[in-house]
Amino acid sequence: MFRALWLVFLGFLPQLAVFYLPYTRRLLSDEFASGSLIFSQVILLIFSIVNIRLPGMPVFLIGLSLNLTVILANGGFMPLTMDAAAKLVDPSVLSRLPLGERLSNASKDILLPESKIILPWLADRFVPPPFMPYRFAFSLGDVFIAAGAFWMLVGKQPVPALVSGDA
Amino acid sequence: MKNTFNQIALSISKINKTHLQFALMLMALTMLVLGAGAPEDIDGVGR
Repeated sequence: MFRALWLVFLGFLPQLAVFYLPYTRRLLSDEFASGSLIFSQVILLIFSIVNIRLPGMPVFLIGLSLNLTVILANGGFMPLTMDAAAKLVDPSVLSRLPLGERLSNASKDILLPESKIILPWLADRFVPPPFMPYRFAFSLGDVFIAAGAFWMLVGKQPVPALVSGDA
Repeated sequence: MKNTFNQIALSISKINKTHLQFALMLMALTMLVLGAGAPEDIDGVGR
């Protein structure tokens, strides 16, 4: 089981308000959103360090650190490359997206040309293969995070306990 | 009706500490991934 679980709630709460709840996110400024994102990820980083002995957590921590690094280096939001955006939306839509600003009040990303991104290899620059129906851009950090989370889920192995409890 | 109620009660009685811990862990893991990750779904943007 996780140690200091309250840190996850503390860390996620600002992002819940800033990015996920439609009513609150439209009231909050970009500066507040950026500060909340950084605060949130620092808290989650501390949580990951506290729980570093869990299977998969070191991998997760690498991913979180990569994301936080590129976010900090680019003014508080995750940069999204033009190339990745071009693979996700029509050119007419892409031409209307604001450069250097958040894509929407639900987004952690700012759209930037690759030449203006600091640490571009850590930005949201990858997209899933075309046959996948759900289209999104993700970063190298996101890959580590997904791998670490999967490892944690498998590594905890709670299923046998549940099965034996049901028998 | 009574039978349905009994079935629900029986199901609830099967929930033990392990189930609750597992649910809590799943919830925490979900929040952790949502909070740490920054994938961008721009499908609805600009429309």
